[in-house]
Amino acid sequence: MPQNEHIELFQKRYGKRLDAEERTRKKEAREPHRRSQVAKKLIGLKAKLYAKKRHKEKIEMKKTIHSHSERDNKHKVEEKAAPGAIPAYLMDREQTSRAKVLSNTVKQKRKEKAGKWEVPLPKVRPVAEDEMFKVMRSGKRMKKSWKRMITKATFVGPGFTRKPPKYERFIRPSGLRMTKAHVTHPELKATFQLDILSVKKNPNGPMYSSLGVITKGTIIEVNVSELGLVTPGGKVVWGKYAQVTNNPENDGCCNAVLLV
Amino acid sequence: MQYNFKKIAVVPPASEFIDAVLSRTQRQTPTVVHAGYAVTRIRQFYMRKVKYTQQSWNEKLSRILEDFPRVDDVHPFYGDLLNVLYDKDHYKLALGQLNTARAMIDKIAKDYVKLLKYGDSLYRCKQLKRAALGRMCTIMKKHAASLAYLEQVRQHMSRLPSIDPNTRTILVCGYPNVGKSSFMNKVTRADVEVQPYAFTTKSIYVGHTDYKYLRWQVLDTPGILDRPLDERNTIEMQSITALAHLRAVVLYIVDISEQCGFTIAQQAALFHSIKPLFANKPLVVAINKIDVRKLEDLSEADRSLIDGMRDAMRGPAAMQLGDDDAFPIMSTLSENGVMEVKNRCCDLLLAHRVEQKLASRRAGEVMNRLHVATPVPRDNKARPAYVPPTLEASRARKAAGEKIITEKDLQEQNGGAGVYSADLRKRYMLENDDWKYDIVPEIYNGKNVADFIDPEIEAKLAELEREEEELEAKWEASRMDREPQEPELDEDERALLGEVRTRRNKLVAEHRRKKSAANNNPVVPRKADAERKLNTSNMKESLESMGLDASAAVERARSRSRVVKRGRSTLRDRDEDMSNADGEDKKKMRTSKSRSKSVAKRVGDDKGAGFKSVDDRMRAAKLADKAQRKRNKQAKAGEADRSIGNTLPKWLNSGKRGNGKTDRR
Repeated sequence: MPQNEHIELFQKRYGKRLDAEERTRKKEAREPHRRSQVAKKLIGLKAKLYAKKRHKEKIEMKKTIHSHSERDNKHKVEEKAAPGAIPAYLMDREQTSRAKVLSNTVKQKRKEKAGKWEVPLPKVRPVAEDEMFKVMRSGKRMKKSWKRMITKATFVGPGFTRKPPKYERFIRPSGLRMTKAHVTHPELKATFQLDILSVKKNPNGPMYSSLGVITKGTIIEVNVSELGLVTPGGKVVWGKYAQVTNNPENDGCCNAVLLV
Repeated sequence: MQYNFKKIAVVPPASEFIDAVLSRTQRQTPTVVHAGYAVTRIRQFYMRKVKYTQQSWNEKLSRILEDFPRVDDVHPFYGDLLNVLYDKDHYKLALGQLNTARAMIDKIAKDYVKLLKYGDSLYRCKQLKRAALGRMCTIMKKHAASLAYLEQVRQHMSRLPSIDPNTRTILVCGYPNVGKSSFMNKVTRADVEVQPYAFTTKSIYVGHTDYKYLRWQVLDTPGILDRPLDERNTIEMQSITALAHLRAVVLYIVDISEQCGFTIAQQAALFHSIKPLFANKPLVVAINKIDVRKLEDLSEADRSLIDGMRDAMRGPAAMQLGDDDAFPIMSTLSENGVMEVKNRCCDLLLAHRVEQKLASRRAGEVMNRLHVATPVPRDNKARPAYVPPTLEASRARKAAGEKIITEKDLQEQNGGAGVYSADLRKRYMLENDDWKYDIVPEIYNGKNVADFIDPEIEAKLAELEREEEELEAKWEASRMDREPQEPELDEDERALLGEVRTRRNKLVAEHRRKKSAANNNPVVPRKADAERKLNTSNMKESLESMGLDASAAVERARSRSRVVKRGRSTLRDRDEDMSNADGEDKKKMRTSKSRSKSVAKRVGDDKGAGFKSVDDRMRAAKLADKAQRKRNKQAKAGEADRSIGNTLPKWLNSGKRGNGKTDRR
């Protein structure tokens, strides 16, 4: 015991007060009342936070109680095994019928033919032009309006230089340029921060693809050399496609799913 | 520099930290924004939130980083102690993590403020703000473990004894259970726990003692076992730290009785193995528990071991003192020799410190300026100190064995406390002793009170009162003679008088009531009747000229000026009022007029109207009027005036407004 723990020292020497246990018991028993008082009085943000915290606690409590009473609860009698069911140790064995295999392969092939990519986000909200661009006024009287500023996140290559302002129709603001993306490998269930190599396709149109606009659903190419993926031929893969899953201009970062 | 770690602020756990910062942002920045605002204003609103959050994180983290001492900056003793207790690497890592977290949060804020500059809608700005705050909180959530660790360290640190590494210190060390803490308890007021088992003391304790009017710090260290340094546990390491870094006198205690469970040989071995730690420090080896076993009872081998320790303790400082042979022995149980041991330690340390100071470079500068004056006697005249004769006399009396009678003795003689009252005038110092018990005049406002007292005042007052009574009696008698007596009324006259009075009173009351109350009778205004034609006789004439019997109508009009008769009869008779004199189409008229809906008889419409009698009612009305009269004159509010009973109701104006409506609290 360190030198300055006076309370502990006192209790060691003279014991606790006689009604200490009673008091702690009572205090504990009053605790729900106190909590409800607090819950009643709180307002606004604090009330919200408190309610959420309490909600979580209650769920936790219920779960624990449930898990404790699992043994004693009455359960439905397990259904008898369906005809043709196999025990767990036989589950891995190959038993598929020939016809099924055939149909599966046919389906697979059809799919491959139909679309080039099987993407995680097949449908994307179309982005209107005036949402995508902001009209910039120019000229001495500020009455020319042929300039556009892109309001979404963009990607430009590393050696990019702007055109002279006189001819620059589309401005890609440097504040909204992205160079990295957080890419999730769907099978590994792991996320990596990878360099963006290019914008492959923007679903809103080829112009956006060429401008390098990154919106939700855009296919980008990322540098996966860090992941150490290897082609069947044994070469290291370094560029791979990924689909953007968030709105980068709203979140300030770019999240994507690797297409495998 | 004071080593006091009590002032480090609390390090909150991550979740609370986040709540605190976010709620602070919520409270301290504006909360109302609308999509209709100019977009620059919206951007500015959210930028402010992001920046403010970053600032408060920065503030709080910097506070933590500043508060915790840096291991490299504190005294090496504390540095090592922190290392032993909390693991320096862990400590540094935790603080380093917070430092990087702070930098990352700053960076995030910068990035998002930049992005916010391109925000073109409220929604987008809000999303960006949300993302920024979320990322900041995530970073802190990741450092929950180091925050928790730092909080524990803080709590432990705040309870460390405040040891000053530079002051005069006695460091007590030895095997466990040899009596270190007992020595500490005897010498200081530290109140260390003493138990008959090893490692009762688990950390360094501090106590303070006085010697030669100086304050001395006594450190009680946990016991040390004789084993290599890397095998020592945390408890022992604290002792080692203190031994290694403090420039103190080391008091090595040896248990001669071997009750502690370690033989003298073992204790000597430990002494020799930690001897390197005693280098450049004065050292005292004290032998404890001599009440159990005397020094003389030792075997030859043990004796030689102890002598071996004593040889080691002969340092330059000890030589200077020159009491080499006296071996410090003590018994903390019987308190024999404890003070001698302490004094010896203190002397040694003082000598050592003086020696060190002399050896230092700065000593020369001071020595040059020092001069001790030793005056030479100029002649052979004796100049002894002056002793007052009274003092000499009292000394002589005391020497002769004369007892001085005190006020207390007198009290005992004369009946004890509460009975005896001390004579305060006895010791007055006056020119003449006879004056001691003279009466002292009472002076008030510079005048003697006695001069203003008339000794016969009581008698004079009594005389005056008597005279007044006499006069009063005389006047009463004369008055009775002067006033003629009125003749008494007889029975009948009195009754009559009573009646007259009641009647008159009634009339007056009725008149006043009528006068004051609004007269609701239908009155034809003068304007409408300038020639005074509208009276009942004229009405009768005109009606009769039209061939109608007007007697009933006249009767009714007259009755309006009298008391209104009630009852159905008047209503019923109304249609007969205008009946033809010859009563021809009486039947037709009756049928044309339908009977109105019957009304329940109203009780108490007349007379008392709730009072017992008309008189009571009148009296009440009168009283009410009277009560009102004065207030009306003063133009005060009456009961007919509009009044708001409670202009500032408490339930509407006290306490906080909740979430709900403004008219509820």
